[in-house]
Amino acid sequence: MQAALELEAVTKRYGAFAAVRDLSFQVRRGTILGFLGPNGAGKTTTLRMVLGLVAPTSGRLEVLGQSDGRRVRDRIGFLPEERGLYRRMTPVGAIAFLASLKGLSRRAARDRAVALLAAHGLGDAARRQIRALSKGMAQKVQLLSAIAHDPELVILDEPFSGLDPVNQQELEGMIQGLARGGATVIFCTHVMAHAERLCDQVVLIAGGRKIFDGRVDEACAAAPRALVLEGRLAPDALAGAPGVRQVSTEPIGEGRLRLCAQLEPGAPVQAALRAAFARDLDITRLELKEPHLHDAFIALTEGAAA
Amino acid sequence: MSRLLRIAAREYGAFVRTVGFWLSICLMPLGLLLAIFASGLAAKSAPPPRLAMVDVSGGGYASALARAVAPRPGAPPAAVVVAAPGAPFASAADAARRLRPYLSGDRLTPSGQRLDAVAIVRGPRDAPALDLWTRNINEPGLEARLAAALAGAMRARRLEAAGLSAAQVRALAGAAPQVTQYSPRSAAGRVSLSDRLPGLIGFAMGIVLWSIVLTGAGILLNSVIEEKSSRILEVLLTSASVPEIMGGKILGAAAITATALMVWLGVAGLGLASRDPALVGQIASILLRRGLGLYFILYFVGGYLMYATLFTTIGAFCETAREAQTLLGPLMILLTVPVVFMGQAIQRPDAPLLQALSWIPPFTPFLMAARAASGPPWWQVAGTAAAMFAMTGLELWVAGRAFRTGALATGRFDLRLLLAGVLGRGERA
Repeated sequence: MQAALELEAVTKRYGAFAAVRDLSFQVRRGTILGFLGPNGAGKTTTLRMVLGLVAPTSGRLEVLGQSDGRRVRDRIGFLPEERGLYRRMTPVGAIAFLASLKGLSRRAARDRAVALLAAHGLGDAARRQIRALSKGMAQKVQLLSAIAHDPELVILDEPFSGLDPVNQQELEGMIQGLARGGATVIFCTHVMAHAERLCDQVVLIAGGRKIFDGRVDEACAAAPRALVLEGRLAPDALAGAPGVRQVSTEPIGEGRLRLCAQLEPGAPVQAALRAAFARDLDITRLELKEPHLHDAFIALTEGAAA
Repeated sequence: MSRLLRIAAREYGAFVRTVGFWLSICLMPLGLLLAIFASGLAAKSAPPPRLAMVDVSGGGYASALARAVAPRPGAPPAAVVVAAPGAPFASAADAARRLRPYLSGDRLTPSGQRLDAVAIVRGPRDAPALDLWTRNINEPGLEARLAAALAGAMRARRLEAAGLSAAQVRALAGAAPQVTQYSPRSAAGRVSLSDRLPGLIGFAMGIVLWSIVLTGAGILLNSVIEEKSSRILEVLLTSASVPEIMGGKILGAAAITATALMVWLGVAGLGLASRDPALVGQIASILLRRGLGLYFILYFVGGYLMYATLFTTIGAFCETAREAQTLLGPLMILLTVPVVFMGQAIQRPDAPLLQALSWIPPFTPFLMAARAASGPPWWQVAGTAAAMFAMTGLELWVAGRAFRTGALATGRFDLRLLLAGVLGRGERA
């Protein structure tokens, strides 16, 4: 199947500064991609190249089969980070206006706006000014305005920013719904939990370079697992235990300590556990912590920085 | 094209649907009327100055001076004559010394009031001089009236001394030559109001264009700043091209200002028609005659496009009105130049300096509108219009490239960024 987005050795320079360097990745159609990276990593520049707002300095970029995002702008939906709406317009007016710019007729755009708002529980707010809506409602209106024209590729920049947990969950549902409907979704976020729950693929960049591209579980595998022990333990209780890379300690009261032992990649936990039990430690609690995307993010970005 | 029109329609609707827009439309003529009548009201509400008259020349000029400040039909008195406290006076210096405390307010007249002015006539009776002491050195007209009255009285005295009778002197004073002005431009040769109207209309058109540029450009600037700060511009750029966005916004703002202009012209036309219907007909005929209407439209379109493009681009580089103000400073200075010269264009439309300034594109639309009545040579009209549209075209090209860079930029205005955008280094225009 043709990729919805393909970047090959894409570089973007502003004078002597390279915002994006030699970036390559593909996004399959109908999947959700988490485009992750620390602040200033080059995410926004990459998205702007995809959207056709800025041209790459070198490399090849193909969006929905076209080398210039502007040629397929009607097939792309874009949600900027926060804001991005006319505060004095009504949700119906704003959604219909942006959808009409994407090629829908005036009437179709308006009908679509009304239907979308009703379907997402905003029917009552449809005729109020956007400035009178809560942040969560406004963010939903913003997302609806990005998808009202049924885009094939949806690009969302920090869509969860400033939303409460209920609205975050609802937004997650909307994004999953888009992918189920066949759209390709690319979103940037700093909240790894969302990416972990939603993404089929994550691309992690730092300093303008790609440092990871793959599935979430593959990313997690790049971070170390940890064995956590609590009890009346000496700080060096796990020193020299097989497979243990690094141990951090934390006092938890009543003379007890929490030891967090990072395991070597691929090291079996049994060896470390056997070593702990062999030393007859006073363990009151133990836990094997599987790495999350958050841990992978830190490990990978730290690794890239090193 | 449809995107351009949709952006224009949104821009128009966003303004025209607000109460503030209609309020400002209504308040503008009210403010104008207030400004026109304010000075008259202020003058009427101020009491006339209290004037004491002292004649130490022995010529008996006081009565002539009193007549000069007396009320005239439909007008208040220029001053109220009161008796000089402490009279008689030995000399002009004595009068000045003794009356000065009444002017400064240190002493009051027997009726408990302060003096506002003192006129002292001194010197030989057939060649008197006038010393006018006044609290308000900017008092309009009083000095001129008194001087004219004294000159008239002195002239009459000398004529009588030369042997003319009082009746002959009065006849001479009332004699005035009949002056009729003719011009080769006047249809009937003799200059009438309808001949002067084109000059006034040209000046009015220049002022109207200037106000429209300021109003429309202000609307555009604020609108772009709002869109830039809320990142709507970024969303628009993913949906439409830069020419569509800029064109839509400029067209929308033009429609807004045109709406305001139509309302104001309509109100002014109705007001004028109710008082002088013939004058409305004359104005209409002047605008239609010799393509003067088209002439104004030509410079209106060019002038509006030139400034609207500039303001739109400035807006794209600013996130707050304060940021915009620093960039607008030089532009506003530029805009004051034509205002200074437009008044001159009515009196001396062919002055070499005005002709030269008309060729500078930022001034062209205003000055050429104001010079319309003098019928500038066709080559000047064609040349200045060509220069103006060439400048506008160049500006549109530069602005188109800079706009995207500004819209996507964050932080404060950066000249290097603007130049990079104009030079198209890696950005898509």
